[in-house]
Amino acid sequence: MTDAVLALVPAWGVWLVGLTTFLSCLALPVPASLIMLAAGGFAAVGDMALPGVAAAALVGAVAGDHAGFAIGRLGGPRLMAWLERRPRRARLVARAVAELHARGGVAVFLSRWLFSPLGPWVNFAAGATGFPWRRFALPEALGEVCWVAIYVGLGWAFAGNLEAAADLAGSVLGLLAAGAVTLGLGLWLRLLLRHGRRQPRRPRRPA
Amino acid sequence: MTALARLWRNHRLALLAFLAAAALTLFFAVRLVVFSVYWMHPAQQDRAPEGWMTPGYVARSWDVPRAALRGALDLPEAAGRPPTLAEIARDRGQPLPDLLEEVAAALAGLTAGE
Repeated sequence: MTDAVLALVPAWGVWLVGLTTFLSCLALPVPASLIMLAAGGFAAVGDMALPGVAAAALVGAVAGDHAGFAIGRLGGPRLMAWLERRPRRARLVARAVAELHARGGVAVFLSRWLFSPLGPWVNFAAGATGFPWRRFALPEALGEVCWVAIYVGLGWAFAGNLEAAADLAGSVLGLLAAGAVTLGLGLWLRLLLRHGRRQPRRPRRPA
Repeated sequence: MTALARLWRNHRLALLAFLAAAALTLFFAVRLVVFSVYWMHPAQQDRAPEGWMTPGYVARSWDVPRAALRGALDLPEAAGRPPTLAEIARDRGQPLPDLLEEVAAALAGLTAGE
């Protein structure tokens, strides 16, 4: 399966790169990160042009995000209700809405690359819940630049050994995401402790 | 009462979530180190040729000049987009495993001279 996908990259070139980043931003199951790694690798050995690869990936991703946002805006509450019919999808949508509500543009930025499984759901949720487009567009574009730079860059750096690039990308992004969550929860715990100290302890309820 | 005990008593879920996230962070850190060590091993640097690879990709993986590999395989300079090894085999009417063996032999010859 992986080999079949990889063989398509030099054959279809930058069109495949742009098409997959576009579709992946609409929550369709396409191996966008693998294809960006491979395209970066083929660019490094001179089989593809790096500016073309990077531009195609970025244009595809940004177009996909805005398409998702527009779908959300057009679909509104009815789309949200439909998305929430499946439990797994409902969880992702609920998290996307909560993150968007709590952190706004930062959530948009981080869900492009660090928490990328949330990305498409943030797009739909932003459109459907009336999140302002002008607050969406800038963090969205900056986030996609990071996403494309990480994967195409790692593919370029590890040209000739895509398996290594894929493993390292998974480890580095996993480490960053888990580390960020740990840090956030740690700060929250500290806040809880301080808060608890200021207030006298409530009497314990009988079990 | 220590801070940890207080958290355990009053905010058990938050503490458990924190510990789970910390464990996951540790897992990825270990994974990163293990994979880095694995891929830095010289035996893992040269990837065996496969059908999806282009001659240029193989040349980079084995650190041999592209032109030398093309010469050893008797390949013309590709006009337009570069073909993969699978496409070259198809164009030559040759089974892919035969071509891959030929590539491996050419690489062995090119790297033996170092």
